[in-house]
Amino acid sequence: MLLQPYKGFFDGKGLGDTKKIFKERRNKMKKLKKRTRSMGIAFLFAFWLWPALGLAMDNGECLDCHNDEGLTREQGRGSLFVDAAQFHDSAHHGQGIMCIDCHADIAELNYDNDVPHAKNLAPVACSSCHEAEQDAFANSVHTQISSKGITMTCYACHDYHYATPLAAASVGQRDNNFCAKCHNPYQSHDWLPKKEEHFAFVECTVCHVPEVQRHIHLKFFDLVTNQFYKGEDILAILGLGSDQFMPMIDTDNDGTISRPEFEILELMLRQKNVHAIFHAELVAEMAPVAHQVMRGGAERNCEKCHTAESPYFEAVSIVLTKEDGGVDHHQVDRGVLKSYSLSHFYLYAGTRVKLLDMIGILLIGGAGCGVLGHLAIRIVTLRGRRQKKEKS
Amino acid sequence: MSKKLIYIHPAPVRVWHWIQAAGIVLLVLTGFQIRYAEMVGIMALKNAITLHNYVGFVVIANYFLWLIYYLGTGKIKIYFPDLRTFVPDAFRQAKYYGFGIFKGDPNPHVMTPDNKFNALQQKAYLGLMFLLLPAQMISGVFLWRVKGYADYVHYLGGIKIIDTIHVILFFFFAAFLIAHCYLATLGHTPLAHLKAMFTGYEEEH
Ligand code: HEC
Ligand code: HEC
Ligand code: HEC
Ligand code: HEC
Ligand code: HEC
Ligand code: HEC
Ligand code: HEC
Ligand code: HEM
Repeated sequence: MLLQPYKGFFDGKGLGDTKKIFKERRNKMKKLKKRTRSMGIAFLFAFWLWPALGLAMDNGECLDCHNDEGLTREQGRGSLFVDAAQFHDSAHHGQGIMCIDCHADIAELNYDNDVPHAKNLAPVACSSCHEAEQDAFANSVHTQISSKGITMTCYACHDYHYATPLAAASVGQRDNNFCAKCHNPYQSHDWLPKKEEHFAFVECTVCHVPEVQRHIHLKFFDLVTNQFYKGEDILAILGLGSDQFMPMIDTDNDGTISRPEFEILELMLRQKNVHAIFHAELVAEMAPVAHQVMRGGAERNCEKCHTAESPYFEAVSIVLTKEDGGVDHHQVDRGVLKSYSLSHFYLYAGTRVKLLDMIGILLIGGAGCGVLGHLAIRIVTLRGRRQKKEKS
Repeated sequence: MSKKLIYIHPAPVRVWHWIQAAGIVLLVLTGFQIRYAEMVGIMALKNAITLHNYVGFVVIANYFLWLIYYLGTGKIKIYFPDLRTFVPDAFRQAKYYGFGIFKGDPNPHVMTPDNKFNALQQKAYLGLMFLLLPAQMISGVFLWRVKGYADYVHYLGGIKIIDTIHVILFFFFAAFLIAHCYLATLGHTPLAHLKAMFTGYEEEH
């Protein structure tokens, strides 16, 4: 099923031969599964020891060898290269997670040997820190497929060394990097019209994980360069620190950017010559439950989203990434969805502009009244016309 | 009373017209369903969207039937008011509809195959067929493939701007439909014009 090569979507970047990638991954996963059993006990022991010994080794030591692109295994394939710069930008490094926090079975580096640590290390257990994600994932279709002999690890979706913070990621970045590695959504979803629009504006998990909280993200998008502005760039342009943003914009201090306040923000950006549009998209809240992708039961009710009071649009927020890698969500009055501030986002029935409805009532009502009035006079004057006709 | 029949609506025009009429009625109905999904219960949103798209393309194809017929036969000139007499003609016609018709005055405009519209009709139909209907068709096509035409959509200011054009015109067509059907009953008998649109022949008095 599904695992056929196809052209990449969203940004036109090809995804390559997904079938092959998937096969490779699967073989690798199978091997890892076997290894887990034999290494299990040693692994547990080492894990228990790591806090005491960990302090002795910093990332630099590991990277002395592993930041070398030429480093390979004695046997077997696969690079052992870890890109220090990219690791530096990762969510884990940002949170102070070290190499040995994950490769927890390395108790010490013994430079007397060729390889200063065991040649075969235990697979990393993401669940040691991400228990909630593991639990949610265990309930998902992607764990259930283990009965078919397919084991999916966390890093079937996530990059293990270079996982970046996801909270500010756009729909394209999330789905392209995750689900689209294995699924071509265009081969299913025949019931869904406008697939391209839906997959560009709605994250897969919004429909596929019933329990997840949904909300609308607003990001700054430059139509000329076709790129998102980074939150920190917007802040720099406005000359604001991340903690000054809300006090500056939310002038009535109610914690929500109201429509007039939103318009002032637009004006400020225009004064700084930023011709960004607000790009809105429907995403799942960043929470462990997002991993509970189920077979069946996905959202297919159009009216859930395409209705004026859709519960999915209750929370609207501007997402701003910060210098330190963190992400701020600033709440916005959902009314902006129905305004021309967001002229690049419109759901049939969902975010309609009230003013237009008034124009409609006037036009149709006007025609109706005109016709009825004319008809009434015609009926009243009927006798007069009859008499005139008889006379002639 | 002498009754002479004149052939006023050639077959292609009649065919075009009834496709147009059925098309617009369906588009208006599904349009209400799409825009007011939670208030209108004619059909499911999904079916409304599908139907709206198909009928939209029928109406577009039908538009070209009309255009080719009228351009091909050169009859298109009946849609263009005579600028020298337009103002007094229109005034006379308006006076008739607003006043004379109640007294039983004769219609100041006499229909002939070469000049079947009165000045007001010419102006209305001209704007309708060369401006409003094309604008509605183009904005509709953009809404049909928002991503496919993303460049144009962005250039024009975004999907909501396109939608605004489409919706205002939609209201206009809905209002037009009411007025148009009513005006069609203002022949020498209430059903005369309507009959003519089927048979092609209008009675002359
Ligand atoms: C002196 C150089 C050197 C240092 C320092 C070093 N490694 Fe290695 N590492 C190697 C070599 C060589 C291999 C390949 C072993 C083989 O031949 O399979 C390797 C393999 C690995 C592997 C793959 C193991 C497997 O099961 O395939 C991991 C993971 C690893 N190192 C992590 C680390 C970490 C974490 C540190 C720091 C605590 C570190 N290394 C420090 C040289 C080094
Ligand atoms: C978030 C956990 C995590 C951190 C932090 C981490 N690794 Fe890894 N690393 C993994 C996982 C997962 C794998 C691949 C599969 C396995 O071994 O379980 C891996 C694999 C490796 C490999 C084998 C080659 C490869 O890329 O598959 C090397 C070498 C390695 N890590 C070195 C490092 C070094 C050096 C650091 C610190 C700069 C580091 N790792 C930090 C999780 C981590
Ligand atoms: C030693 C503890 C530890 C281990 C082991 C670990 N992580 Fe993390 N991870 C963290 C912490 C702490 C954060 C930052 C806090 C957060 O966002 O949850 C984080 C963040 C993340 C994020 C980014 C979340 C965001 O902010 O968007 C992802 C994705 C992630 N981890 C995946 C993994 C995967 C996959 C593995 C296994 C290869 C793994 N982690 C192993 C501690 C760990
Ligand atoms: C099928 C692909 C997939 C797999 C497998 C997967 N994740 Fe995720 N993960 C996601 C997606 C998608 C998100 C973003 C959720 C969202 O969009 O709201 C995410 C978000 C996260 C986050 C940040 C959100 C949070 O919970 O704080 C962490 C941490 C994380 N994953 C860890 C893991 C761990 C640990 C595993 C293995 C048990 C794992 N993931 C397996 C797709 C996956
Ligand atoms: C590493 C590959 C991989 C990734 C990444 C992945 N999946 Fe899957 N997915 C699978 C496999 C394999 C199956 C099982 C297919 C089967 O049973 O026929 C599956 C099954 C599913 C099913 C059930 C299909 C059915 O037949 O009912 C859904 C829904 C699904 N995935 C959604 C997602 C979503 C959403 C994401 C992103 C968050 C995702 N998948 C990421 C491999 C993947
Ligand atoms: C508008 C909601 C919606 C969105 C968005 C959506 N899906 Fe689905 N998807 C569904 C529904 C409904 C089904 C039918 C099966 C079901 O009820 O789960 C389905 C079915 C699937 C299946 C199973 C196909 C099969 O052969 O049975 C996969 C795999 C899948 N989706 C992946 C994805 C991926 C990947 C994305 C993101 C690019 C995505 N979906 C986006 C609603 C959605
Ligand atoms: C999970 C929410 C969700 C569901 C369910 C959903 N849609 Fe959408 N739909 C969206 C979003 C978001 C957009 C993109 C809006 C934009 O282009 O600005 C969209 C766009 C569209 C468009 C393109 C025109 C437009 O409004 O932008 C059509 C047509 C459409 N949806 C029809 C449907 C139909 C029919 C169904 C049910 C089969 C459905 N949608 C289900 C969220 C949803
Ligand atoms: C909004 C959709 C409609 C449009 C755009 C439209 C447009 C037109 C046009 C341009 C003409 C002149 C035709 C010609 O070239 O000879 C015409 C005539 C006519 N239409 Fe329609 N029409 C619509 C709907 C309807 C409907 C629903 C009815 C039926 C109730 C109707 C009844 C008539 C009649 C009787 C005439 C002939 C009388 C006249 O010329 O005014 N129309 N229409």
